[in-house]
This record gives sequence, structure tokens and C-alpha cells, in this order.
Amino acid sequence: MHVSLKKEIKQSHVGQVGLIILVLVIALAVLAPFLSRYDPIQQSAASLLSPSLSHWLGTNQVGQDIWSQLLYGARTSLLVGFGAGILGLILSTIFGVSAALIGGLYDKIVMRIVDAFIVIPMIVVVILVAAYVRPDLAVLILLLALLSWQGAARVIRAQALSLKEMGHISASRTFGASRFYLAWRHIVPDLGPILLVEFIYGVRRAVFIEAGLAFLGIGDPMLVSWGTMMHDAMKFSYLNVWQWWLIPAGVALSLTIIGLTFVSHAAESVLDPRLRGGVVA
Amino acid sequence: MTGKRNLTTYGIAFLIILGLNFFLPRMMPGNPLMAIYGDEALVAMTPALKAHLVARFALDQPLWQQFAAYIAALFQGDMGWSYFYNAGVLKVVLGSLPWTLLVVGTSLVLSTLLGIVLGIESGWRRGSRTDRTLLTGLMSLNGFPDFFLGLVLLIVFGVLLGVAPLSGALTPYSGLSGLALVLDVLKHMALPVAALTAAYLAGGYLLTRNTMITVLKSPFMTTARAKGLSQKALKYRHAGRNSMLPVLTMTGIWLGRVVTGALFVELVFTYPGVGQLTYQALLARDYPVIQGVFLMVAISVLVVNFAVDLLYPKLDPRVSYAR
Amino acid sequence: MLEIRDLRVSYGSDVVLNGLDLELADGETLAVIGESGTGKTTLGMSIMRLAEAKVQGSIRFKGEELLSLAERDMQAIRWNQISMVFQNVNNVLNPVHTILDQVAEPMIEHKLRNRDGARARARELLARFGLPQERFSAYPHQLSGGEQQRVLLAMALANDPELLILDEPLSSLDVTTREELCALLEKIGGHRAKLVITHDLDTASRLSRKLAVLYGGKIVEIGPTREVLRQPRHPYTRALVRAYPNMTTVKDLQGIKGRMSRLVSGCPFHPRCTQAVEICSREIPPLTQSRGHWVACHRGGIVTLLSVANLSKSFDSLKAVDSVSLHIEAGETLALVGQSGSGKTTMAKIIIGLHPPSGGAVYLESKRVARRGKDFYKRVQMIFQNPGESLSHRLSVLELVMEPMEVQGIGTKEQRRQKATQTIEEVELPQTEAFLNTYPHHLSGGELQRVAIARALVLDPDLLIADEPTAFLDASVAAKVLKLLLNLQERHGLSLLYITHDIAAARKVSDRIAVMLEGRIIEEGPSNEIVTAPRQAYTRRLLSSASALHDFDNTSISR
Repeated sequence: MHVSLKKEIKQSHVGQVGLIILVLVIALAVLAPFLSRYDPIQQSAASLLSPSLSHWLGTNQVGQDIWSQLLYGARTSLLVGFGAGILGLILSTIFGVSAALIGGLYDKIVMRIVDAFIVIPMIVVVILVAAYVRPDLAVLILLLALLSWQGAARVIRAQALSLKEMGHISASRTFGASRFYLAWRHIVPDLGPILLVEFIYGVRRAVFIEAGLAFLGIGDPMLVSWGTMMHDAMKFSYLNVWQWWLIPAGVALSLTIIGLTFVSHAAESVLDPRLRGGVVA
Repeated sequence: MTGKRNLTTYGIAFLIILGLNFFLPRMMPGNPLMAIYGDEALVAMTPALKAHLVARFALDQPLWQQFAAYIAALFQGDMGWSYFYNAGVLKVVLGSLPWTLLVVGTSLVLSTLLGIVLGIESGWRRGSRTDRTLLTGLMSLNGFPDFFLGLVLLIVFGVLLGVAPLSGALTPYSGLSGLALVLDVLKHMALPVAALTAAYLAGGYLLTRNTMITVLKSPFMTTARAKGLSQKALKYRHAGRNSMLPVLTMTGIWLGRVVTGALFVELVFTYPGVGQLTYQALLARDYPVIQGVFLMVAISVLVVNFAVDLLYPKLDPRVSYAR
Repeated sequence: MLEIRDLRVSYGSDVVLNGLDLELADGETLAVIGESGTGKTTLGMSIMRLAEAKVQGSIRFKGEELLSLAERDMQAIRWNQISMVFQNVNNVLNPVHTILDQVAEPMIEHKLRNRDGARARARELLARFGLPQERFSAYPHQLSGGEQQRVLLAMALANDPELLILDEPLSSLDVTTREELCALLEKIGGHRAKLVITHDLDTASRLSRKLAVLYGGKIVEIGPTREVLRQPRHPYTRALVRAYPNMTTVKDLQGIKGRMSRLVSGCPFHPRCTQAVEICSREIPPLTQSRGHWVACHRGGIVTLLSVANLSKSFDSLKAVDSVSLHIEAGETLALVGQSGSGKTTMAKIIIGLHPPSGGAVYLESKRVARRGKDFYKRVQMIFQNPGESLSHRLSVLELVMEPMEVQGIGTKEQRRQKATQTIEEVELPQTEAFLNTYPHHLSGGELQRVAIARALVLDPDLLIADEPTAFLDASVAAKVLKLLLNLQERHGLSLLYITHDIAAARKVSDRIAVMLEGRIIEEGPSNEIVTAPRQAYTRRLLSSASALHDFDNTSISR
């Protein structure tokens, strides 16, 4: 069962494409200041200009440069995505592994709560809370993480349970190892592939929801977001400006999500050897 | 890994939903009335109305009494009062519900069925060009958020090609009836349903395809082939029947996703369903309506999940419900 | 009806069937025996063209070549003419359909009956195979193993095929179910041709009249089931029967040396065969006729090592040996049982050359033995009753064991020493300097006998004549010596002529028993037959007076 995760992803064509896309998006986000001339929040010209040499994608309804917005929007998406992803993963791992190792009443209670949350449609809750709280970046990341760790916790717990029964874990217990030691040294590392896959799922969900919230107009108004761009662009669709305003934002968002999907698909086939082989997709 | 949810889980979920609904406004700074209705509405209310509302929702009582009043009101069908619509929230929401049900229901059924069929065909031909194309294609399609898809469809079919209506569920003031009415409704829901179906197709497809790949390796498939059965029988009666089970168990959870997708799609197509209602409520800070929608959506998803849990043993004879 | 020629099946680079030939006539039941990994399931699957492997060769069914048939035509043949009862593993039946539906399905699909007719016939079949009515709408996972097997059988007969392939049909069943299903299969499936694939000799012998033995992807022996099991002609078949615990055989279990390997050139069994010669590693032997069976062996099956014809010996007027004819095959144990004075020891001494015969002849591998030279003694050795007497007290253990090699002039002193030490190890004696330099009068009875055996073995003989080898030994020591002899047989293919009065011991180590009385062989046959169904009164007396654990009132404890 020693399949190298990195190797598998690199070998899969789909995984490769996904990685390339992600790297591209990350690069654009990081290099945003160098690739754009204007501050995305500042009004830099008249409103609703068509693309020109100075404004590659024209300007929006308040005169902000769309190209800059596109680049900085990547930052928002990636920050929220990875932030919520990591936080969610940490929560999932803590609860999932502890439930598996401690068992008993603690396990039952945690699992009931987890199941209850899984059944509730998450986005609706986020919208409700966002309607009241108007989250900024940090609060949004926290909120997303709090509402999405449950799904992964279930999967992690299941895997941890089966790992717990494995020989080398039992052996460590006979040395008098504490449960925390077991978790940290043995179980979590063995969970690697699953953690990665669940992490990518989490990132994907977070990116999607952040954009969705912005699209509905209840995101952080200070943040540059692809969702907001699409929201604003939609209002002016009759003006034929969608080609350089709406489409790039939507495509950028979609590509990011697709990249994440592809990478997670390649990672999944590492987890499930039955799916490997055959399709090199 | 499903089907083990029992009443307790749903009970806890229900409590969480109620709790959120109840406590969220009351945890905001300022007086409860303002939290529930927002400062703009408050400004416009007459003192008499304010007093009436405070009494109605026991807002000056201790918290637990408020909660009791809240629950009592719920059981009587009173979900709050919308200032903007000047009507009970329940009535407002029910007014928009049918359109959403229409679109969501159709999309859910279509995406599930189509996803299953495509998943079976793809899994059957695993590794072939058809499979690879479908796989990459649907995974890419899955990456497009539903609102973007909706917008693209709207632009292409509505604006550029002009074959689809740009908004609404019906052509306004047309006074159609009978078949013409049905056609009109269909014309208006075509694009929203298309957008939703396309966006959520991949879920069912991927799950079915993966299950199919595993199922095809089972011993009973060899038995079936030995019986000299036709390809169709093997694919659908034997492999397919087993492969679609996981998808069906996810229906309840996916309903939640499709409903929230409808929210965005209705916005894009200006479709007068619950989603549009929510958007307007968000704009206007009509919190009672937002809460009411949340409650209804969350509860219906719970109910559907529960129903699926109950029905599943009928489809998969290996699962006995008493676990 | 079914004719398989040169069937080769390989999964990638893994060759599972390597030139298999088989024939099945109308209405005949043939069992194919093989251990795991020999490709027997692949055989069944290949006939149905279900094997996902590269299949070459020819499979003709009723004259038609199946391997070149279009898939659609093959689909028409499947289940209608050839059907298969699969091995009853988990999920061999579709878990989401009732068993009634699954039995009725092939009838409907192949348009033999309409839906109602098919279901009626399905009910009939299920009932005939012993399933109660209330189980008909059950799902597979609700059935027990025995019930599932019945469903598989009923389902296979649904379309009334002419050829039925059964893969391990009785493996997961308890005894009573096994018997019941055997009877049902005979009754209901009786007139059909059946191919039974199994590793279990019990199943094979219950169900079939003809038996084929599969090893290394080829058939190594075919013949009537009863004959093949009673007197196997191929070394592998014999080893298989010896290794199989069953109520019929009385000899102790023996294994087969080595392990099965796929990448073998020439005869697939030759690395594990104790009578292999040079050609065996080069060329694959074809199936040839040998005494009523077909055997794939370059040496024509198990070789007859030694035989005596009409051997007689008289001392003055006493006829010690009266016209005795016997034979010993390579790798087998023949026990010569008789009381003292029956002539058995004389027989042994004639064979080894210590007494010249008065009449008759001795043949070694079909060649008459006239003068016994070193060549003879290299192949035939003897150990005597009293080891204390047969070992010179002048020589140390090492010298004793090295002596035969010195006499024969084999090897250098160093090589002899090494071989001697090796053999001493094989008979489970210590190889310490101290022990090697011990003299016989310091050794115990068991140790002495082992030294004697080591001496006999050091020349790598093919036949060991053991005259009452455990007579002077304690029971526990004797047991170890006998076990040692069996191990040597397993490892080197040593043949054993075991001479004794004790029929109880004889049956534990011998494949065949010959009973000798007053110089004559009065009865001879496979040991289990002699012991359980003796024909001669004298034999019966021998058996009843043989050692047993008696109850006080003279009945044997076990009865």
C-alpha cells in the first residue's frame, strides 16, 4: 500500500492538467502587483470603458480596472479557499481521530453531531449567518471551516478506526504509548492521502461558496472577488459589456475549481486502488 | 456508510436549525427588534407596530420564554411577520415555493437520472475514448459554478440567439391557458433547469461510474455473462442496478445543493421562486423572510433525507433497517 | 461432445494452461483434479469463453470450434448448451435480485419461455433441489451456503444444457448436504455431460467415472476414476492421493517435495519428481497409453523398479519360497507380511543376493539380474533386523557410514566424509566429532538402526529392503525410524520393501501389502483394501490378532 501520492498525481494526465491550472492561478495571484498597473479598488478611469491598451479588460461601473480586479480576485479566492481548507482539515482531523481513538460515549456524541450537520445544507446556513454578520475575510474563513469539517471528519474517523486495528499500532500500544502519541506519530501520517483529498475538497467548497456569497452581494464589500465582479457585471448585461467583464471572471473562477477537481480526482485514485489503472484520466 | 442515521440525528439537526434561527438575531448587538428587523425597517415602523411586534414575539421577556413563544408560534404556522410584504412570512414563502419546486424537482430528477445513465455507460466502457471524454468533460462542467453556467446560457440563448426568454416564469400579461400555458412555462424554465442540471450532473455521474467499476469486477457479473445475457441486460439489470444505489442514498444531501443552486440560478434568470425571494430579502434586510426561507429549506432537506433513509432498504435488500 | 486440443491460456506473461488435451463424450462425467493455481477454474472459464486472457488452441463442442465463434453466437450457446455452476463465493449471485428471478432470467432472456412459464419452471427446479417454497423470493444474502449452492445448481439446469461445468460444487457444504446434492445431481442432471472441476478427491470420486489430473497447466493422467485413485500411474497423482486425508487410505500422509512453479521447461512435474531423468527437463511428455490409463510421462508412468517372477528357493526338502511373483514400483512401499517361517526373510536375502534362488528370476527395471555387481548394490540396499549384529564393532560411526563408498570407490576421502556426514544428518543423528568417533557398543538400539540406515542410504539407493527394522527397538524409537523412512521416500523417492510380521505397522507405511504364508503369496493388493476387505482367511486372522487397544472384554476400544 505504499503508493506515492505525488507520483500518482503526476502520472495522471488529468492530475497534471489540474496542477498546471492551479500553479497558474497561484502565480497570477502572487504576481498580481507586477502584472497590473492599477490598484483594483481605486477608480482609475471613467466607468464602463471597453478594453484598451491601458486597461486590458476595460473598467467597471465605478471605473475600476477589471484586469487588476481579476488578478486580485484570485488572491481572495485562494486565501479563503486554502484558509478554510486548512482550518477545516485541522478540525476534521482532531475530531475524527479523537473519536476513533477514544471511542465510547465521546465517539457517539461527536458522531451524532457530525451526522446532524451533514444533513443540513451548508450553504443555506452560511447565507443566513452572512446575512446577519457580514463577514470579513477572517470571519468568513472561520465560518466556512466550522460548517464544513463534519464531512471529512466522518471519513477520517472511519480510516483511523481501521488503522487503529493494524499491527504496528497495537505494537506501539504495548510500549505504553499514549493515545496522543499514537495519533501524532502513526495515525495521522498514515492518513496522508485521505487528508490531502479531503483538503482539496474543502478548498474547492470554500472557493465556490466565497464566490457565491459575493455573487449574492453579501460578501465583504472591501474584498475584491470574482463573485462580486460577476454580480456587478450581471446588472449591466444589456450593455454588451459582458464579454470582457463577466466572462473572464467566470472563466477564472471555473478554471480554478476545475483545476482543484482534476487534482482531487487524481488523488482519489490513489486512495482507491480499484479505480487505478485503465483510464489514465 | 449511510442509512445509519436515526431519529436522534435528525432531531439534533432540527434543534440546530431552530437554534440558529432563534439565537442569531438575538446575539447581535442592539435591541432584539432591531436585530430581527434591521435598522432600516425599524426607522419606518410606527411605535404602535413596534409594540405589537414586541408583544407578538415576546421580545421583552427572558430568553427562554422567547424561545417557548417562538416554538409555540412555529407550531401554529406562524413564522414571523415580514414588514416589507406586510404579511406573514409563511404566506410569503409559500407564494414563491411552487416555482422553485418545479425547477428544483425537475433538475434533481434529470441530473440524477442522466448522471446514472452516463455513469453506467462510462463505467462499462472504462478506459475507452467515450469514457475519457465523458469523464474529463463532466469534471470540467462540474467546475463551472451554477450561476456562471446560468449566465452563459442566458447570454448565449437569450441575448445572442434570442430563443429563450430573458426572465420570469411566465410571459407577463399574456393570459395563456391550457397547452399554451404549459408550453410557456416550459419555455421559461428550460434554461434554469438546464443550468442546474448541468451543474449537478457530475456528482451522480462520478459516483455511479466509480461504483460501476467496482461492481463490474464482482463474481455475479461473471455469472451473468455465463448466462449468455445481452449487453443491455448485463449493463443495466445487473451492473447498473447495483451501481445506482450509492447515488440514491445521496439524493437527500444533493437536494440541499440543488436548492441552494436554485437560489443563484433564480437570481440570474429573475425566476420568481424562493431564491429570488431570498435575494430580495437580503437586499432589503428582511430578516424574517430570510429566516423563514432558511427554516423551510433546511427542514425540507431534512425530511427528504429521512425519507430516503427509510426507502433505501427497499432498494437494497442487503440492508435491514433495524440497525 | 467436447474436444479440447492443445489449449494454451495465459494472463499476460503468466501461462496458466500449457497445451491441455481433453475429451468428453456425450453423457459422460469427467472430473478434473488439480491443486490451487493449476488453472482448473481457468479451464472452465475458457470453455465458456469467459476467461479474460489470451486463449489459443482448439475447443470443439459438438464439432464446432468455440474459440473462433462470434461473440453473439457464443452468447447463444452459453447457458442453452453449456452452462456452469460457479464456485460458491460471496456475491456469486446478484444481491439485488431474488433467487427466483435469477433462475428464471436465462430462460426469459434466451426466449425459451415467457415470463410466467419461466418463473413456473424456476420454482419447479428450485423445489427439486430441495429449496422450500418460502425461500423463493429471498435474496442471495439471506440464504445459507448450502441453499445458495442449490440455487446455483438449479439455475445452471434452467435452460436444459447438454454440457454442465461444475467448479468446486461441493466445497462449502456440510456432509449431509454434500451427499444429498450428489444424489440430486445424479438424478436430475444424470444424462448430461458433466465436467467437474475440483481439488477435492472426495468430490471427484463421488461424482465422476473418469478422472483427469491437472498439473502445471497440462493433463498428466486420465483414466477411470476408480482405477486412477486406486493405482495411480503418474507420480503426481500418486503423491496427491498420498497427501489427501481420507477415510479410505491407511498409509500415513506424505507431502510432495518442492513447490509448484510455473516456469518449468519440459515436464512440468520434473523438479518435484523422484524418478526424473535427463529428458524430463528438456521435453514435454505427451499423453501415452499405459496399462489402461493415459499418462504424460517420459518413463511411461511410475516405473517398476524391481520384480521377481516365479521365484523359488528350497533348502533340502523345505520349500522356503514357492513360486513367488512380486513387483515394487519406484517410490512405493511394498510390505511383505507374514509370520516367522513364512519365507519372507529368505525372499529378501534372495533379492539382495545372499542366497541364490532355486528357480525363477529377479529383474531390476525389467533387466534380468544375473550377477550382482557394484552397480546392483548401488541401487539396492538392505538393513537387517538386529543392527547390533550387522554393524562391525571395530569401526566408528563415521567409518561405518563411509565404508560403502570406499568399497564402491566413490569420490575422494574428503567427499566421502562430507557425504557421510550429510547422510548422518538426514537420519537425524548428531554430527559432532564425539559422536562420529563413537563405537557401536556405546550406542542405543535406535541410534544403531539409524546408523544402519545411514549406511544403506549413503549410496543413494533406489530400493531399500528393510527386514523387521524396528524389531529390536522401543515403540517410540520405532515410530521415529518409520517416520524417517517415509520422509526419505517423500524426499528422494526411495522404494521400500518392508518385511514384517506386524500388519498394524505395515499398513501405516505401505502402499501395497503382500501376505506370505508358507512360502507363497496368498494375497496382495493396495494396503487399504487388504486391511479393510481381506479375502483370505489367513489374512483375516492376521488382522484380528494384530495389535489393537482392547477393552477388557476383548473388543477393540474404538469400536
